[in-house]
Amino acid sequence: MEFKDYYKTLGLQRGASDDEVRKAYRKLARKYHPDVSKEADAQVKMRDVNEAKDVLGDKEKRAAYDALADRVAKGGNADGSFQPPPGWDEGFEFHRGPGQGPADHAEFSEFFSSVFGRGEHRGAQSRKYRARGEDQHAAIEISIEDSLKGAERDITLRALESDATGKPAIVSHTLRVKIPAGVHPGQFIRLSGHGLPGEGGEGAGDLYLEVRIAPHALYRVEGSDLYMTLPVTPTEAALGAQVQVPTPTGGVVEVTVPPSARSGLKLRLKDRGLPGKPPGHLYLLLDIALPPADTDAARKAYEQLAQAAPFNPRRHLGVGGA
Amino acid sequence: MSFVTVISAAAIGLDNPIAARELAHACGADIDWVVQLVEVGIVEVKLPTAQPDQWQFYSPDLHRALEARRLERDFGVGLDAAALILDLENEVRRLKAVLQAQGR
Repeated sequence: MEFKDYYKTLGLQRGASDDEVRKAYRKLARKYHPDVSKEADAQVKMRDVNEAKDVLGDKEKRAAYDALADRVAKGGNADGSFQPPPGWDEGFEFHRGPGQGPADHAEFSEFFSSVFGRGEHRGAQSRKYRARGEDQHAAIEISIEDSLKGAERDITLRALESDATGKPAIVSHTLRVKIPAGVHPGQFIRLSGHGLPGEGGEGAGDLYLEVRIAPHALYRVEGSDLYMTLPVTPTEAALGAQVQVPTPTGGVVEVTVPPSARSGLKLRLKDRGLPGKPPGHLYLLLDIALPPADTDAARKAYEQLAQAAPFNPRRHLGVGGA
Repeated sequence: MSFVTVISAAAIGLDNPIAARELAHACGADIDWVVQLVEVGIVEVKLPTAQPDQWQFYSPDLHRALEARRLERDFGVGLDAAALILDLENEVRRLKAVLQAQGR
């Protein structure tokens, strides 16, 4: 595990003011916003920025982090690896301020959970109140096939707990989650009682997993509908045809392409999208693919077509045909 | 040390909505905040005049509520401005999907 330099993540010096932390965070949050950023790893960078802000934006966590950084600077491991020294956080108590929502701690780094996980838990215990544990949030990516048929996914949660000798140790807990068929992008899966532990005898919070669908070679997902580009020949588009189409469940169906079909025409296969109540549809977007004119016979056929069916596709531009 | 627990998950949907207090807890807020979300139109309920404990919410509501909470917390925006930002984000995503469908 590497020591994380949260100041560097936010582009700040060690003595930065609270206002500078807030401004740096807001600037980077805009830069790496998923709807704005064009950088491929924007999501990872945003997670790092969120983690850095969670620590540096909190007086208690920041003070503890600074103290830890000083100790590491004085005597770190030769190979650059990092383990929090035993008892390093004595005297610090971490908790979330009013108005702070549940940070996405489930997605934060091992460094964060090993350094701050135990302190947050102990801080809550010392206040002796009763409260249900906080909900946690994470994302899970599945394939379209998994969404159609249902799937199992392993999720590993890490927590710092004391072992039999009272020494802190990272405990991994793997949840094998049975994902129901028909989940679609943006839908949440709730794992009741798998969030943070409650206090004073209250129950644990829930873990919410937001479903993301991995890009697919053939299909694109919108809600519970699937979209596929269906290439057809000019002949099939002009005269109409019966063409075979693969379905996401592995079968093949025959689809009628109507005569005079244009490129971009949308055909709907009812209820062939993701399962659900109601099920989604499979939409086919026609794409007219030209046969290559790479033989004398093909070139002659194109010339004969031009003579037999004179056509000016640029008439609406007010110019003549070929 | 690692151990495995097998669990069946429930997807939040028409068969399995979440209540107002669950939406609030998921966002680290209280139920009054959810009432404000309904008032500004960030989330919608079928019967706004019903008691909040009768409201039901679905995945898109949770998504918008979490995003509104983040905007509030990280950028200090009010809920009216958050509602506008969320609508603009939706429009950007819709237009990007249209462009993607057209292969651009």
